[in-house]
Amino acid sequence: MKTERLIDPASAQALDFAWLARAVEPAGEYGRRAFEELRPFVPGQEAAAFERASRIALLASAADEERLDAVRDVLRQSPDATGAIARASMGDVLDDAQLFELQRFCDAIERTGSLLAGVAGIESAAGDAIRSIARALEPGRSGKYGFYLADAFAPEVSSARAALVRAQAELDAVRGRAVARVGLELGRDDVAGDEFIVMRASVGKLPAGVRVLREAATYFLCAIEYDDAALAALARRDEAAANVAAAEENVRAKLSAQVRERAAELDRAARTLGEIDVLVSAARFTREHDCVPAAIVDRAALEFEAGRFLPMAGELEVQGRRFTPIDVALRDVAVLTGPNMGGKSVCLRTCGFIAMCASFGLPAPARRAATALFEEIAWLGIGTDEDPSGGSLLSSFAREVVRLREVLERKSARTLVLVDEFARTTTPAEGKALLAAAIEALRARGACGMAATHLAGVAAEAGARHFAVRGLRGIPDRPSTGDLHEAMAALADSMDYTIAEVGSEDPAGRADAIALASLLGLERAVVEAAYGYLKK
Amino acid sequence: MLDGKERFVHVGEALFEVVRGAGARSAFVVGTGKNVGKTVAMRAMYGAATRARLCVGLTSIGRDGEAYDAGDAQPKPRLWLSPGTIVATARDVLPRSPAGEILALSDLRTAAGSLALARVMTSSYYELVGPPTASGVRTTVDRLLDHADYTIVDGAVDRVAALAGGNDAIVVACGAAAASTQREAVDDVGALVARLRVPRFDEGRPAIFVDGALTPARAARYIAARERQQIVVRDPTQIALTGKAASHAFAALTLRCERPLKVVAVTVASIGRDRSFEPASFLRDVAGVTGVPAFDVYAGARS
Repeated sequence: MKTERLIDPASAQALDFAWLARAVEPAGEYGRRAFEELRPFVPGQEAAAFERASRIALLASAADEERLDAVRDVLRQSPDATGAIARASMGDVLDDAQLFELQRFCDAIERTGSLLAGVAGIESAAGDAIRSIARALEPGRSGKYGFYLADAFAPEVSSARAALVRAQAELDAVRGRAVARVGLELGRDDVAGDEFIVMRASVGKLPAGVRVLREAATYFLCAIEYDDAALAALARRDEAAANVAAAEENVRAKLSAQVRERAAELDRAARTLGEIDVLVSAARFTREHDCVPAAIVDRAALEFEAGRFLPMAGELEVQGRRFTPIDVALRDVAVLTGPNMGGKSVCLRTCGFIAMCASFGLPAPARRAATALFEEIAWLGIGTDEDPSGGSLLSSFAREVVRLREVLERKSARTLVLVDEFARTTTPAEGKALLAAAIEALRARGACGMAATHLAGVAAEAGARHFAVRGLRGIPDRPSTGDLHEAMAALADSMDYTIAEVGSEDPAGRADAIALASLLGLERAVVEAAYGYLKK
Repeated sequence: MLDGKERFVHVGEALFEVVRGAGARSAFVVGTGKNVGKTVAMRAMYGAATRARLCVGLTSIGRDGEAYDAGDAQPKPRLWLSPGTIVATARDVLPRSPAGEILALSDLRTAAGSLALARVMTSSYYELVGPPTASGVRTTVDRLLDHADYTIVDGAVDRVAALAGGNDAIVVACGAAAASTQREAVDDVGALVARLRVPRFDEGRPAIFVDGALTPARAARYIAARERQQIVVRDPTQIALTGKAASHAFAALTLRCERPLKVVAVTVASIGRDRSFEPASFLRDVAGVTGVPAFDVYAGARS
């Protein structure tokens, strides 16, 4: 799954593209290959994007987790046979490991087909070629998963192996007699190894047929020589082994020729299996996170109800807390204000995440969603480690300006731009002026998006719609223990994360920041002093 | 002892009995160096197990068992395996003929491609090229034990950390090929076995837990401070001391570990390519310095 031009690395980091990629990653090798080729849908492909998300949603509703996981298990355990198919197509004679891979490939197709039988929108990977190759390999099935070039493949294999067993037995008998004789003469019976030591003191004369490899003061290093009978038996064994090799290779050549004849169909089946893996993984994601296909609109707009930023929802769940879903409706660049920790950044990330899902043809985490296919989803402001060119020589303000310049220069016709506290590190007056001008420029380019800020009056200045997080319902008591987690829980209980359009009303000057500082345990005297300054 | 009048023993059987007696289902043969008879010891145990009609699984750490050593291009012992044996080896070195039964292909990589699990169907020579990592070997041994009664691994000292705290037996091979003199060979194997046999720490006594390896510099500091507490490393492979530093540290400190290893025997190969030692005295000295049963697989003797 490649972002291509849709998201640059900094924006991908802010929107946690890596989390999404992991969440929909296929289970098996075929799927991973198909996944690598996935690219975002672009404007003009609205119908295709919606059709894919709908197909995934349909699969998610038709197959429960157990069935989807069973398919993923089959695909995860299936070795990759595409190398074997390619080799056979080029005339190679496959080895047994490759024939094993092909048999498991046919098994995986049969198993996924039966697990997904009757599910609309899923193309079967099975076909004549698969059935034919599966039949050809069937004599090699051994145990539950094993493959062996069994005697049943050809009578020549069976007879050659029987001859080899006889020849080996003959050789073993001849060698065994020699070993037994030497052992008897030496008064020991463990001289079967290639080399052995005989202590000088233990023997007057070495038995016939024992060759001395090395002579030392106290011992001989010896080996038992092959006599004429043994050499003749060895030659017969080697000839029998060569006959087995020829018979086995003949079977492999015939099987490989069958694979070569059907290589194009097998390759198509492998691609279909990969696509099934991708769809099943996306369906598993859809079920797990209760996603819906977003309607794809042909204008720069983004709207959703009960949208969630899944990476954060997951983190909160681990802490025993719950993500508060939000509603947003954007048709151009709007301004978002609200208290610290009121969810402004999360709102921006939710917008980006939902648009990102739709761009990849994935159902989105919302109760209902409609969005454009954006050419670019751009994140500006805090929340990324990514430096534009200039790196550490640039101040945080300079980095933001360079990022803005880059977004404006790209001139994407349909951009979703998410601005998080742009120009917060310069003077409020200039920051406000710059932000208002940036919003105007983005709106003039037809961009859609949202700019979160603490600066008052930006929306009015830029003539943009103004949304606000409702904020604290009351000031929560600061926890007696000073425990940060307790403070965060109290804050979450008191915060109304609802986002509403506020028109000309501008709540950005509310003193929730000092209340929050108090809640987080800042020294009481400092808090009191801050309230005092605020009143002045 | 080898005085010319001794009763020869079946070294393979005796070695294998030591492993079984320790309650282990897997034996790792590790060496003090190259060409010290690891594969010969492994083959002896394998022969004993198959004669007892047990199903044996075999693998190696890294590349071993090929006709020529990958490191020095010298001939090496090969493994002639009987039907029913399970091998875990690189798929690229599986003999094309006679065919074996492919049981599974693994994602684990080896020096010669991915790892395959196969059952020997017709007696043949096999080359063992196992996974190079300790964790890979651990996984492979567990998979072999799904099919086999016992597993024997041609191992490496620097990979035995994966066995720490487990129930695997370790057989240490030493030989003339890895030292200039018999004295040096005996000292080396003595130090190695002492290191690998470091006992588990006593939870009821004060201890200093070493984070990472116990290096000569750290050991010297403890010795200088006349430290009397137990010095505890995670496992014996974390004791990075050899030679005189090792002897001194073992004498002056109470070295212990959290996850001990189980060294059950030593094998000796008194013959090397460039030199050989007197078999009887070498076996006797090795048995004396290590304190574990010692076997000469070439001479058919045990201490």
